[in-house]
Amino acid sequence: MTNTQIQAVRPQPAAPAPVAPKPSARDRGSRLLAALFLAPTIVGIVVFTVVPIAGSIVLSLFHWNVIDDPSFAGAANYREVFGDSTVLVSFRNTLVFMVFAVALQLLIALVLALAVNGRMPVWLRSVFRSAFFFPLVLSAASISVVMKYLFNQDFGVVNWLLGLVGIAPVPWLTSENGAMTAVVLVYVWQQFGFSFLLFVGGLNNIPKEIHEAASLDGATGLRKHLTVTLPLLSPTLLVASVVGIINALQVFEQPYVLTNGGPGDSTRTVVMVIYENAFEQLRFGEASAVGVLLFVLIMAVTALQFRLSRRFVHYQ
Amino acid sequence: MTDSHLTRRTLLRYGAYGAGAAALAGTAASWDRLTGADIPGRDDDSLVVATLGPAYGPEAIRTLTDGFKQLHPDIKLRINAVQAVDWSDFFAKILTQIAAGTAPDLVYVATEGVQLFAQRLGVALDKWVKRDAAELREYFADVHPSLVESMMYEGSLYQLPVEFNAADMYLNHQVLQRAGASFPAPDWTRDDFTALLRDMKKSSGSQFTPYFWTNRLWGGVVPWLFANGTNLLAESKAPGGAWLWDGFYPAAERQGRGGGFRWTTPQATDARVEEAYDYLASLIQEDLCTRPEGGNGQNLVGVFSTGRVGVTPAGGFWAGGLNLAGMKATDYDVQYFPRWRTQRMQFGAAGYALLRTSKRQEEAWEFIKYAARKDTLDRLFVTNQTTPARRSMLTAARYRETGPNHWQVFYDTLDKFPDTGPIPAPPQVAEVEQVLLKHTGTALASRRSVGPALRRMQSDLEKAMERDV
Repeated sequence: MTNTQIQAVRPQPAAPAPVAPKPSARDRGSRLLAALFLAPTIVGIVVFTVVPIAGSIVLSLFHWNVIDDPSFAGAANYREVFGDSTVLVSFRNTLVFMVFAVALQLLIALVLALAVNGRMPVWLRSVFRSAFFFPLVLSAASISVVMKYLFNQDFGVVNWLLGLVGIAPVPWLTSENGAMTAVVLVYVWQQFGFSFLLFVGGLNNIPKEIHEAASLDGATGLRKHLTVTLPLLSPTLLVASVVGIINALQVFEQPYVLTNGGPGDSTRTVVMVIYENAFEQLRFGEASAVGVLLFVLIMAVTALQFRLSRRFVHYQ
Repeated sequence: MTDSHLTRRTLLRYGAYGAGAAALAGTAASWDRLTGADIPGRDDDSLVVATLGPAYGPEAIRTLTDGFKQLHPDIKLRINAVQAVDWSDFFAKILTQIAAGTAPDLVYVATEGVQLFAQRLGVALDKWVKRDAAELREYFADVHPSLVESMMYEGSLYQLPVEFNAADMYLNHQVLQRAGASFPAPDWTRDDFTALLRDMKKSSGSQFTPYFWTNRLWGGVVPWLFANGTNLLAESKAPGGAWLWDGFYPAAERQGRGGGFRWTTPQATDARVEEAYDYLASLIQEDLCTRPEGGNGQNLVGVFSTGRVGVTPAGGFWAGGLNLAGMKATDYDVQYFPRWRTQRMQFGAAGYALLRTSKRQEEAWEFIKYAARKDTLDRLFVTNQTTPARRSMLTAARYRETGPNHWQVFYDTLDKFPDTGPIPAPPQVAEVEQVLLKHTGTALASRRSVGPALRRMQSDLEKAMERDV
């Protein structure tokens, strides 16, 4: 090894750390003001998110039925959860639901956003925006009650309409595939308005010049959307898919009211299992263990999305 | 070693922060746990009675409170009408109140929760019943022993039943006429029932379902199990209870009575259970009835009153419901559940359970007695929204306006079939019910799926029954 090389690898004496200038009284005042404004949100997050999560983790290590004092169970609740076929099926159902619901929701929202964003009178655009967003402000439980009537195999309007075009009654809520399809459809109908609004906002942010440049280069409608619109909309797509997946993994009201998890366990979701364990069977420890697993799943899926987004998301 | 020159001022500042944090932590640790009872106005020293909200509207609550106030002006009463979809939802909300430290003194509990409350939360009423025996003699003489026995647990009485509903069969006259069928005889059989459904189907359009039934513990598959001489869980009786039977019932009526029901061993794979499921699967295959999940109770009154359903099992509560839906007394009628191997029927009853956490147990007992009085029930059940537990309240005058013509069926279900019993409701009832609903759905997908589904039901029931609540 030459001297030059030795010199090259020899650690250089550390440069003195830059001394941060002492904040002025004005800076301190600004920081205090910022802290004051942030405080309610931080307190809210700590009280209503961090503490319940921590509480759930602790509770998942105990047996507790509300009536008696909790008793330490160690990992017993987790062992029970992993050995419970209903819990495992509920995770599978939730993932299947998530895939179909989110894909359909994003697709419908994107197509409608592109349509509304096209040449259309402003008043008509407003009408569509309101109409598509409207289901989102309604209670999921009340919507599901109404949908239960509509999807009833014997007396429902949906089968009556299908009957008009010669289609035999579909067992929407009483067959495994029919029930999951109905739950997905009801959920998507209610939820796509959120993604739709995000996409409308995202489309408005794409500079017209880029589309014009693409047109000059000879790009036609579909090609323009595939090569210009979608890449530039990818940050919005990421947000919509992250929020959509987190919401879908926590689906509860629609399957609970529409099918009560049936037939069999075919539409039983993870949050339903948490609810049933805790509030029907008084097994708060097991319910918390399932809750913790769901939390881990959501974190993992979200982290994976952000990881993959590095390849597919383009920021202007 | 790091260079850590703390200035005196910094040291003082951190010291002050530390002292402040320690003071805050100390203050927080010394506080009593904050509960719902700390909310102003929550604990006003009233006797709190939790009832199932939808069944107790403002008028009913006023009736209860005003009448009680006249009898006991010294006891403050608050009726807490808990809004809930069904009994299981109601119990969940009561347990949440208990966990929050705002437990009511009394809870209106149906058969589904009698044993759960008795085992974990309830106070036996034995000492008060014995003490006030003279006052209660008239009540017990008016109430069928089966209803009382359904409110007993391990030899003690936990509630005085005020209402019940047996699964009798409602028939729509308009549909019967259309099918050219006559009203069935009291001893009609399962085969008569099937033939009637076929006649109804033949004479009606595609938008018609002869038999409508729901997938739940009460009124679903269970009445068919009873009719076929079996049950979901093996049924036996706890010892004891002689103190009550000997004191209040004549020898003929106390024969065979015990200290309350025990439902212990699951028997979903019993041949008769499979037979009952097989029968229901055959009705579905033949398009003579809804699938159980499709037959939710919410739209039942609507489809029955408009002639889109011919027959359905329901209790006396339907007389009020159909009347509200616009049906006249002559538009429908009620008959016993059809005979199969037996004509034993099922019922569910309800009354007020006293909670151990109550600090007003004497006042609560006064309310229990008041709520079981005939004049109270007369005022409360004026619209026939249920079947009163008191036999003397079932009169022609009561049913003249709402119907049905055969209103005697409601109480005769108990009097003429004394082995008629409560739905199987052990302390683990919530899980038992969930297992029943889940596997009934899959069992009835086809006749071939009955056996495998019942085997899974048996396994799940065994797990459920092993669990301590």
